[in-house]
Amino acid sequence: MKEILQKLSYCVEAGKINKTSPYPPGMKDQDGADELTKKALENGIKPNEILENALIPAMAIVGDKFSRNEIYVPQMLMSAKAMHGAMVHIKPYFLSGETKRKGTFIIGTVSGDLHDIGKNLVSMMVEGGGWEVIDLGVDVGEDKFIQALEKNPEAVIGLSALLTTTMENMRKTVFAINQKHPGSKILVGGAPVTQEYCEKIGADFYSPDPQGAVNYLKNLTS
Amino acid sequence: MLTSSRQNFIKTINHQQPDKIVVDFGSTAVTGIHVLVVEKLREYYGLEKKPVKVIEPYQMLGEIDSELIREMDIDVIGLFSAKNMFGVPNGNWKLHKTLWGQEVLLPGNFNYTYNSNGDILMYPEGDTSQPPSGMMPKTGYFFDALNRQEPIDESKLKVEDNLEEFSLITGNDLDYWKNQISLLRENSKAVVASLGGTALGDIALVPAINLKNPKGIRGVEEWYISTLIREDFIKELYDRQTDIAIENLKLIYNVIGNKIDVVFICGTDFGTQNSTFCSPETFDRVWMPYYKKVNDWIHQNTNWKTFKHSCGAVEPLMTHFIESGFDIINPVQINASGMDPRLLKKKYGDKITFWGGGVDTQSVFAFGNPAQVKEQVKSQCEILNKNGGFVFNTVHNIQANVPFENIISMLEALKEV
Repeated sequence: MKEILQKLSYCVEAGKINKTSPYPPGMKDQDGADELTKKALENGIKPNEILENALIPAMAIVGDKFSRNEIYVPQMLMSAKAMHGAMVHIKPYFLSGETKRKGTFIIGTVSGDLHDIGKNLVSMMVEGGGWEVIDLGVDVGEDKFIQALEKNPEAVIGLSALLTTTMENMRKTVFAINQKHPGSKILVGGAPVTQEYCEKIGADFYSPDPQGAVNYLKNLTS
Repeated sequence: MLTSSRQNFIKTINHQQPDKIVVDFGSTAVTGIHVLVVEKLREYYGLEKKPVKVIEPYQMLGEIDSELIREMDIDVIGLFSAKNMFGVPNGNWKLHKTLWGQEVLLPGNFNYTYNSNGDILMYPEGDTSQPPSGMMPKTGYFFDALNRQEPIDESKLKVEDNLEEFSLITGNDLDYWKNQISLLRENSKAVVASLGGTALGDIALVPAINLKNPKGIRGVEEWYISTLIREDFIKELYDRQTDIAIENLKLIYNVIGNKIDVVFICGTDFGTQNSTFCSPETFDRVWMPYYKKVNDWIHQNTNWKTFKHSCGAVEPLMTHFIESGFDIINPVQINASGMDPRLLKKKYGDKITFWGGGVDTQSVFAFGNPAQVKEQVKSQCEILNKNGGFVFNTVHNIQANVPFENIISMLEALKEV
């Protein structure tokens, strides 16, 4: 039983989505995250065990390697795709309530900004950390963040900005959320954003990489 | 006798001390100035109040005309393709009121619409009967590509699909370049030409916002993944693309000769804020052979110098850019990891020219005060201009939100160094 979780973990780390996926070339025609998750569930392994002992640790390895510049954006995207291949099978158990998420994370790129690669990477990593992710997309106005927060009052918010011209909209969004929902936790990130800026605009956490966000969320729930 | 801009440029590109720091604002689409700032500069210098031409609408870059070149003491001028990134000819200018209320001039066929949210939608070749390829958000200052990636069927994926925008140029194109050269009334400035066709996987160009029905790999994420999982496809594409590019360069060279000094080769970003987009080994395998092919042809057949743009933390790739044959690296993002200007100058300063890095657009320039800007500009010039190999420019284009007093402070500092 343990072996299948180890294999699954490795598939997520290596970015092996399913049997037909040609990547990585060394794993051609082997089962991927998709098939292994299905088999694990058929073998009676609880979804929570699959999450805790395979998917979450695998994504943490991916995140750490990315933070240390040992892998790059394309590899991370492939790992996220493999994780999604596994999650398709786990999601029904979340919906039925049999398996619990660690929390809800609302994420979006701020108003005026259409960039989404960084936001997507964080979104994938946080989902791989066991959280439900509500991705509001790009060019998200402060009202949309507040509406989503009102529907999910316990959720943590993540704001992304790639441009210096949209950082001001990040500040306005943080201000609006803090006014309406003081006590909400807000994470900020994106190429021009810094720890100093995070503090200046009254956000709660900044990370230069996705794994930092995952670790912060982990600490919130532990 | 005073040394001319071009003479100083030749000194600096040959890593000799120029008499004056060579200055560029506006010679390329990555060293330009947002149209809002251009208008303020015209007002500051007391020039005629008129709507500014947006010469590169994707990023809303304004025209730096001969009056501003004179006032700002600019040494380099740029030649651009006949059509902008949306495939619309830059001409037959028409008045447009921007989302921020500025009156500017846009190309006559730059036909756009507004969506219900008030965002501007732009269309390939300005053809509004097609799905839009770009959008400027209501609160934005420039366009971004819309994702038009169709689901990929691996069995049907063809290199030709991603080659659609790369073809042999026509007689009309050659006439255009011939005309552009003839318009260079004075030859005292250095000339940079963006001839097109030589960029390998520039993520701004991959979505092909000028094509009405782009096929192949066109989504940003799909492209990055493809560099990993479809390496053979990418290499074949680059191989065929560079063959076409060299044929075109031969034709253009026959028309313009050595009347340009620099050719803009590629804007592919290899760096993020903290890292690179690929390992040096991947760069050597997937990009270097094709960059080398183009750079080698240029160096063996022309006097042109070759210009590479890459944002981000690319210090680990610097020797690889040099080995690929690039003469110039831009924008020298000095606040990215490992991009310490002292270290860059010491390690690579005699082998490659730093074009940019004059002031940090992400922090000091956008959010600092004029005194901080002045101090940084002077310090950067002192480090980077030693023994030449430096052209002053900000790190990437000057954006609409930069406090105008910071821009003036930068220009004043340039007079004092």
